Amino acid sequence: MADRKQTLRLGFEGHLRKVDVTLPATEATPWDADSKLEIVGTEVPRLDGHLKVSGRAKYTFDVALPGMLWAAVLRSPHPAARIESIDVSKAEGQPGVKAVLAVAKPGDTLRFAGQDVAAVAAERPEQARDALALIEVRYTPLPFVVDTEGAMRDKAPRVHEAPITERRTEGDEPGKAKAGGMQGNVRALPPNERGNVDKALRESDVVHEATYVTQVQTHSALETHGVLVRWDGDQSMTVWASTQGIFSVRDEMAEVFGLAPSKVRVITEYLGGGFGAKFGASAPGSRLGFIAGELSRLARAPVKLMCDRHEEHVCTGNRPDSRQAVALGGRRGKLHAIDVVAHGTAGIGTGAGVGRNAFSLYTRCPNARVRAHDVFTNGGPGTAMRAPGHPQGAFALELALDELAAKMGVDPLKLRLDHDEHPLRSMQLRQGAERFGWDELRKRSAQLRSRNTRVRKGVGVASSLWGDFGRANAAVATCSVLRDGTIELKNGVQDIGGGIPTVIAQVGAEVFARPLSTIRVRYGDSDYGPSVGSGGSTTTSSVTPAVRNACEQARVALQELAAKQLKVPAGEVRWDGDGTAHGGGGSITFGQLCKKIDGEAIVATATRPATYGHEPMAFPGSKFYQIAGAQFAEVEVDTWTGVVRATRVLAVHDCGRVMNPLTLRSQINGGVIQGTSYALMEERVLDGDLGRMLNPNLESYKILGARDVPEIEVMLTEVHTGANNTGAVGIGEPATVPTAAAIACAVYDALGVPVRSLPITPAKVLEALGMIPGRPA
Amino acid sequence: MNRFTIVRIPSLKDASNRVATTQGAVLRAGGIDLLDHMKEGLQAPSELVELHAIGGDEGMKLRSMDVHGDGRRRLGALVTLAQIAELEELFEGHQALAQAAAHAATPGIRNAATLGGNLLQRPRCWYYRHVDLVCLKKGGDMCLAQTGDHRYHAILGGGPSYIVHPSSLAGPLVALEATIDVRGVDGTVRTIAIEELFVGPTVDPMREHCLAPGEILLSVTLPVPAPGQRSAHAMAKEKQSQDWPLAEASVRLRMDGGKLRDVRVALGHVAPVPWRSKEAEAALEGQAPSAELFARAAQAATGPAKPLPGNAYKVPLCQGVLRQALHEAAQIPLPE
Repeated sequence: MADRKQTLRLGFEGHLRKVDVTLPATEATPWDADSKLEIVGTEVPRLDGHLKVSGRAKYTFDVALPGMLWAAVLRSPHPAARIESIDVSKAEGQPGVKAVLAVAKPGDTLRFAGQDVAAVAAERPEQARDALALIEVRYTPLPFVVDTEGAMRDKAPRVHEAPITERRTEGDEPGKAKAGGMQGNVRALPPNERGNVDKALRESDVVHEATYVTQVQTHSALETHGVLVRWDGDQSMTVWASTQGIFSVRDEMAEVFGLAPSKVRVITEYLGGGFGAKFGASAPGSRLGFIAGELSRLARAPVKLMCDRHEEHVCTGNRPDSRQAVALGGRRGKLHAIDVVAHGTAGIGTGAGVGRNAFSLYTRCPNARVRAHDVFTNGGPGTAMRAPGHPQGAFALELALDELAAKMGVDPLKLRLDHDEHPLRSMQLRQGAERFGWDELRKRSAQLRSRNTRVRKGVGVASSLWGDFGRANAAVATCSVLRDGTIELKNGVQDIGGGIPTVIAQVGAEVFARPLSTIRVRYGDSDYGPSVGSGGSTTTSSVTPAVRNACEQARVALQELAAKQLKVPAGEVRWDGDGTAHGGGGSITFGQLCKKIDGEAIVATATRPATYGHEPMAFPGSKFYQIAGAQFAEVEVDTWTGVVRATRVLAVHDCGRVMNPLTLRSQINGGVIQGTSYALMEERVLDGDLGRMLNPNLESYKILGARDVPEIEVMLTEVHTGANNTGAVGIGEPATVPTAAAIACAVYDALGVPVRSLPITPAKVLEALGMIPGRPA
Repeated sequence: MNRFTIVRIPSLKDASNRVATTQGAVLRAGGIDLLDHMKEGLQAPSELVELHAIGGDEGMKLRSMDVHGDGRRRLGALVTLAQIAELEELFEGHQALAQAAAHAATPGIRNAATLGGNLLQRPRCWYYRHVDLVCLKKGGDMCLAQTGDHRYHAILGGGPSYIVHPSSLAGPLVALEATIDVRGVDGTVRTIAIEELFVGPTVDPMREHCLAPGEILLSVTLPVPAPGQRSAHAMAKEKQSQDWPLAEASVRLRMDGGKLRDVRVALGHVAPVPWRSKEAEAALEGQAPSAELFARAAQAATGPAKPLPGNAYKVPLCQGVLRQALHEAAQIPLPE
């Protein structure tokens, strides 16, 4: 069928306009600004909330099968070593031990402390761990380096002898090009430049130069990584996985064990968080899927392998650190040049870039250049983490911008507004500033500074950008209208915690005008049909349009059935608010109609096409919509102790159509909390001499607690982008991009001196204030 | 975690003997720190001898708080932090102890953690707590923190170990001149000043207190407060929910004719033992209270500090918390 043209009303409050889009013939007419929806967009509590809070929801960790064994992994105690020999024989035959596996072989080089060496499966978890102690491994320790600056020195030990290939997952931002060659431990990522930055810096009348440092953050999902593997004969298996990508687990297990993907079933009924580290059957730094699958094959029993908290910190991924040398040029009160040279380490892995912020946010600045580098160190591999690169990049850029603004004597908010081309973000910045009380609060900060008070307050603002990367043809949804009147919606998506099953049910309820109680959502299982990984903020925008198309197609079939029953042409059937069909003076209730279904059900299956619009503005260099956001933060600083409290955050966000304000706010709250935690306390600490992580727990790896959470206000600016038929775009990542940056700017406002290093601890605040003996600020 | 046996013995004598004579047997009160050690693989006891199982009068005394005829206040070793925290209003002159208990750990931990366990817990040093690392405290030749990452370590009295003492109740008890009753393995009970409980690293880097296996801390006694006595506790943490202090300060004083008298100052989380600051006390004793005086006293307190390269920030931070405690104890409002 030929494509069709459709006119939609798109844009945002005060900026709506009619736009022609081209749709595939089978595509449902997109919901736009004129659509009046009854259930989508309302506050529906998540359907499985009671199961989660009552402990009845079964996570991978909770799944137990008859005869199931527990696996444990022996991990390298050395940050770099060659394996001379491995002898597992003493572990075999230990009480309860059913299988032992040498994962590494003699001659292998281990490159970080925590790398897989060997594994055991036993009847009880403590038996497996005890048996590990009997595995004899001879190591030859090798020189290593775990700190980023040390690894950049000429004589630093080489982490990788040969160039390495990037490991990319669905959590990575789409569309990035491959990197260049390696120099020592340093590998340049593809640079970005517009204008002529060197010339522009020479032309500038104010130049601000400083280096900004961010730490390594670990994902620290509450549920650790883990899988449970059961072989179903020699050629097929079922895998329960704590994963944010069911189909990436399926594909990896199929590849590792030489199975047809269709012979691998993956189930993730509930997931205790992922944040980008849970794609594939392996963790980024541990071959969990292979180990569990191979032990299961050897032992001829199901094997469960769950990481403990220590393993979760050292070998399941992290957000790389960064050292960003920033130079900003100001000319006649305007931003004239942005130059960023960044180095960061993803340990033995790749992906230490610093996001799009510096290059793509303040696009009215004519000259910009970002040169980022991966620096290899003997640490666990980094991987995608909630808006990879962006919080790092935002922190350096936005704090530097405030420092430049101070030097130029302009208000930092005005400097941002002057250089941001996104019409919605400009509105967000203006409306947010008004609601937050920006002007008055900035004055208050200045007064407290001038009185040199013990307790200071400050405010900051930072921007967010992300793309609507909703995927075409990836999620295939099935809608079945059953004879008993139930509407069953199936898709093999996992719920990372955002609440996608609830939103799927809302779409079904909307299309059929039926109560939510009659909708049954089947998800979290590869048998329910292809879907996307929960990465890139794409779940709702990839899945709900497919669900809607499937529902609309089933509804067409139902309408034909109603027409037959009412003896009118299908075009004359009208539906009312409870799903009753009317026509030719008669009517038939939804329940009566379903009983007339020929066979068990009406079934329709559908996906979604590529994005067909991006109002009001595209993501830089692509045809995707650019998601806009801005956050304002207020902090309180005790100058006697250096303790910083984030007291208030106003998060102004766009996520296309608001599908469910409750689950949406929940994601924004989570993004702000994670960002605040990153700003003020989280930090992986490696000992430089020992190469070991010193805080692989949740005690000294500090994550924001209840008393540390700021008061969070969420302000939603709905946008009709015309990108897909439900209008959903993403929020998971945009919500955490600017938080740490805004807090750092607020600390600068409070103190009058910047803290250019995350996390902003009391030690760094006291140092910035020049209070440490022998160390002037 | 290893498999172990729970042993319930109703008398102190038998419990003490059991621990003194059984390989791998340890006493358990709240079990907070013990469980941490077991989960990390630092300790694998064969038996946990339950202090909560002690019966009769002995058990009642371990669990109760009461006031002696002369007004001294006795707190049994099994009294929980939550119970102490609730006493702030009753604790005329002893508020510092209740404040410290109220800010420790989490509500859940405070409900289980005991006074005795809090005083006898092992350090939180991340080298000590890492099962694969052999530090001075675990029989190694050197304190790994000294040349490693010591951001949370000692600035006062460090060497050869640089741990900080983890107890938040020890500081207030030192400031309040508490005594403790200890039952020896032979059944005799001795009373010692709280400061004598703690063992500094120059004496023995492998332990932090002087009790031998089988000896049992029975109770803590607070002296009768002098008329007008006040006390206060202050601390600074990186995180306000469930975190260990970076530094804390406990102060006891009374006002007499506009002058500070009987001043005692103890600092926590800055030294391997609860650190009594005689320098601060000397600077304050007999002086009229003022913000300026407190600032000078705080400087005096950190005068002997020898910070390591990575923890000099604890010097001004420690001064800050001491100033806060002094302002509160002397009822002089903090500057804005």
